[in-house]
Amino acid sequence: MTNSLLSLNEATKTVNSGSNKVTLLDNIDLQVKEGEFISLMGPSGSGKSTLLNCIGMLDSFTGGGYTFLGEPVHSMKEKNRSKLYKEYIGFVFQAYHLIDELKVWENIETPLLYKNVKSSERKALVADMLDRFNIVGKKDLFPQQLSGGQQQLVGIARALIGEPKLILADEPTGNLNSKQSTEIMELFSKLNKEGVTIIQATHSENNASYGSRVVNLLDGKIVS
Amino acid sequence: MIKNYFKIAWRNLLKKKGFTAINIIGLSLGIGCFIIISMFVIDELSYDQYHDNANRIYRVNSDVIFGGTEMSMAVSSDPMGEVLKKDYPEVENYVRFYASNGSKLIKKGNEFINEGAVAHADSTLFKVFTLPAIVGDTNTALNNPNTVVITETAANRYFGSPQLAINQFLETDDNGKTLYKVTSVIEDMPRNSHFNFDFFFSMANVDYGFGNYMSHNFHTYILLKEGTDYKDFNKNFKEIINKYVLPQAAQFIEISSMEDFEASGNKLEYTLMPLTDIHLHSSRGAELSANGNIQYVYIFSAAALFILLIACINFINLTTARSSSRAKEVGIRKVLGSEKKALIGQFLTESTLIAILALFVSLLFVWLSLGWFNGVSGKEMYMTSLLSPKFLIFIIVLPFIVGGLAGTYPAFFLSSFKPIKVLKGKLSLGNKKNTLRNFLVVFQFATSIILIVGTIVIYKQLNHIQNSNLGFNKEQVVVVNNFGLSRETRQSLKNEIEQLTEVKSASFAGYLPVSSSSRSDTTFSTETVMTESNGFNMQYWNIDYEYLETIGMEMKLGRNFSRDFGSDSTGIILNETAVKLAGFTNPIGKKLYTIDGDNSLEAYTIIGVVKNFNFASLRENVGGLCFQLGNNSWETAFRFNTTDVSGLLATIENKYKAAGPGMPFNYEFLDEAFDNMYRQERRVGTVAMAFAILAIIIACLGLFGLATYIAEQRTKEIGIRKVLGASVSNIIRMLSKDFVKLVILAFVIATPIAWWFMDKWLQEFAYRIDINWGVFAVTGLVALIVALITLSFQAIRAAIANPVDSLKTE
Repeated sequence: MTNSLLSLNEATKTVNSGSNKVTLLDNIDLQVKEGEFISLMGPSGSGKSTLLNCIGMLDSFTGGGYTFLGEPVHSMKEKNRSKLYKEYIGFVFQAYHLIDELKVWENIETPLLYKNVKSSERKALVADMLDRFNIVGKKDLFPQQLSGGQQQLVGIARALIGEPKLILADEPTGNLNSKQSTEIMELFSKLNKEGVTIIQATHSENNASYGSRVVNLLDGKIVS
Repeated sequence: MIKNYFKIAWRNLLKKKGFTAINIIGLSLGIGCFIIISMFVIDELSYDQYHDNANRIYRVNSDVIFGGTEMSMAVSSDPMGEVLKKDYPEVENYVRFYASNGSKLIKKGNEFINEGAVAHADSTLFKVFTLPAIVGDTNTALNNPNTVVITETAANRYFGSPQLAINQFLETDDNGKTLYKVTSVIEDMPRNSHFNFDFFFSMANVDYGFGNYMSHNFHTYILLKEGTDYKDFNKNFKEIINKYVLPQAAQFIEISSMEDFEASGNKLEYTLMPLTDIHLHSSRGAELSANGNIQYVYIFSAAALFILLIACINFINLTTARSSSRAKEVGIRKVLGSEKKALIGQFLTESTLIAILALFVSLLFVWLSLGWFNGVSGKEMYMTSLLSPKFLIFIIVLPFIVGGLAGTYPAFFLSSFKPIKVLKGKLSLGNKKNTLRNFLVVFQFATSIILIVGTIVIYKQLNHIQNSNLGFNKEQVVVVNNFGLSRETRQSLKNEIEQLTEVKSASFAGYLPVSSSSRSDTTFSTETVMTESNGFNMQYWNIDYEYLETIGMEMKLGRNFSRDFGSDSTGIILNETAVKLAGFTNPIGKKLYTIDGDNSLEAYTIIGVVKNFNFASLRENVGGLCFQLGNNSWETAFRFNTTDVSGLLATIENKYKAAGPGMPFNYEFLDEAFDNMYRQERRVGTVAMAFAILAIIIACLGLFGLATYIAEQRTKEIGIRKVLGASVSNIIRMLSKDFVKLVILAFVIATPIAWWFMDKWLQEFAYRIDINWGVFAVTGLVALIVALITLSFQAIRAAIANPVDSLKTE
């Protein structure tokens, strides 16, 4: 039995660019069930990143409805929205976006700080995560001391530490070579099997093949 | 969480060492300056607070205007205290000081020591003021004549210890020789006291015509009962004047009523001044010590605050200018679930951490500069005074205030970034939002320019005072104190020294045209019967035949006193102002009348007029003055002409010691005594200069930081421009142009403000310079050159860099 995680109902995003109104997302209808692994595909500028950002509540739709775990996100206040994504969503970026001044284990720990998790519990969770990703030996290094693949590994570990229901990954392998890409995608696949819902934006057919469903975007519309 | 904040803050500080150094140095200079001035202000405000009854003790001040001469005095008449206590039940007690003698010679072994910190006091001294005893009973200590209460320091000096001093006798030169019995030894008086005596002699030994309402020679303090409003009490003085003062005055002057007296422009007024106001709010005649000035407390506080602000501005500007380097972190943290509040907290933690580090460095600055500041301000402040509980709290709270002041705007600014914008990476925040930064830079430089203008004006005015035509010649005059010598010895010593080839002339000169010298004034009238309209008060100095020549004064009309004229004992010489006060057009030969000590009318004939000379500070206009032939020989002035001044002094000292064995040799140079009148101005000038230098250093540190950042940010642009053919000077001009504009704008804003303030300050001087454009031109140029030098370090580095390096990194 699978529950609906989120649903978009004629979700639209427009921005003003000078005097022009530009439509970035055009009446998107999308249902995502728990346990899915969705790949968003499409050429540059088709709206993949915008859709991910809006789903991740970093940005908001300008029209239509967005329901997450039965709650209407579109009519929510900023504060509640941030509470919601803090609790349920983890992000993975193409450029990793680790904090340069923090060591590996501190980067992984950061989301827990904002959830007010107790120190001892944080230590335990971080230790588990380091163990699970086989990076215990790297825990005291700074991000610049790691390879790209290792940095992305830390990025994923950081996204997972809060035990989110949904992981949003924007071109997670965009900066990696093929060997590192394969490792990351296999990791995603493994996580998905463990029950984490994943939505990734990607250019790569190969990466998309790891997912359970492909959504194609073109000029802000779902084409298939 | 806090731990995490500190960790990341610390790592950020280490990573950007240059910026950290600029921020910490700037802030620590600002904080250090602020701490020193706080110590100064707290010390100034603490004066006389140590008495248990400090808030109930008042001094009786007198204000007299008579015949156009105005006198504001810290003293009143001798019966005042007792009359107040007798007639008004609100007055719990009173005490008087008589300190008109200035100093006493006190015998130690076979030598006499010249003690300056001496006064005669009523036995009620200890009922009014809190001066704890070490030995003896202060309640009865001064009840009898020939008693003295001394401080621990004095006891140690003369007897070895307080215990050894009690019931011993001190020999003074009063009336040739008087013995006083030490009846009590008290603790040394706190330094922050407006009077500071080591010896309190019994009042009964004062040789004075008591019961005289017309002469004001006693510092009188009254203790009011709890709950008495001193302003209300002031009304009672009218009654005192009518009941006691007028009847006595009527014996000398024909005064019909107080109303008529006042209608002719005269005034007699007594007022109470709270004890704790004296130090900062009183600068009257006959003060017991050189008081502070509340104006300077305000000015110093404001300047210290502004310097702290300038330092905070550096932090604000550098942090916001560098914001793009922190933007990514802000974005990530927001994505990871941080609320804006938490980010603000993080950035405030950072600024506070910097402020704490700066505090430690600033304590080093304070430690290094406290000695200098003490020297300049005449204070005795130590690092240990920072350990008092009040100050400790202040020091602990200070970095949080500074951190908040400097960190709040950057914290809100940085934490407001939208994560998706910054994470996309295309955000150049450095050049945007320039309005506030520009405003702050203008503020820094405007403040610096005002301080520089202030410093220049103060120094120009002091220079003007040094070099203005005083009406006498203060150079090459040494004044030797004659106390302890008999009248005959003084005369023979004077004659002997006069024979020296280096000595041009010599004069018994008890009255000198410097404000530290003795003063005497008397009331004259142009008619035989004095009325409130024909009487006037003026300085009345006894001089000898050689005085005018020795001090270097010039006659305007008539002649000097001369031994060739037998009648000169009834002749007087006026100054120009006195002629004006008397209203004479042809003064020579005219007569003036006065009542002498034995209540008889005396007539004096004007034989000469001396050109006006400044006998008080140049803050005041020259008042009326008359010379009469007399013999006051407590000081001898020698005009000399030699380059070997120390040799001459040694010769004089030897002769003095031979003439008066065991007597202390005290002397001063007239020009030094003159300079001492402007000690406070010189202090203010020095402190202002320190402030100005600090302000411009801190402002330039900030400018340096900004320039570094801008040059860094525009590296690529500079590379492209150079490839396209821009010269080094083009690039330097491009990078400096914007800042130079700001400095010029600051100059335009600062000019009228500085003008207004300094014009106000100069109004205190009757003889003052005009502020001219030169001052501003110099200041503007200095600010601009300093700013340009600061900027050029970075601009030149950026401009001469090889463009290949900067373009390759893309």
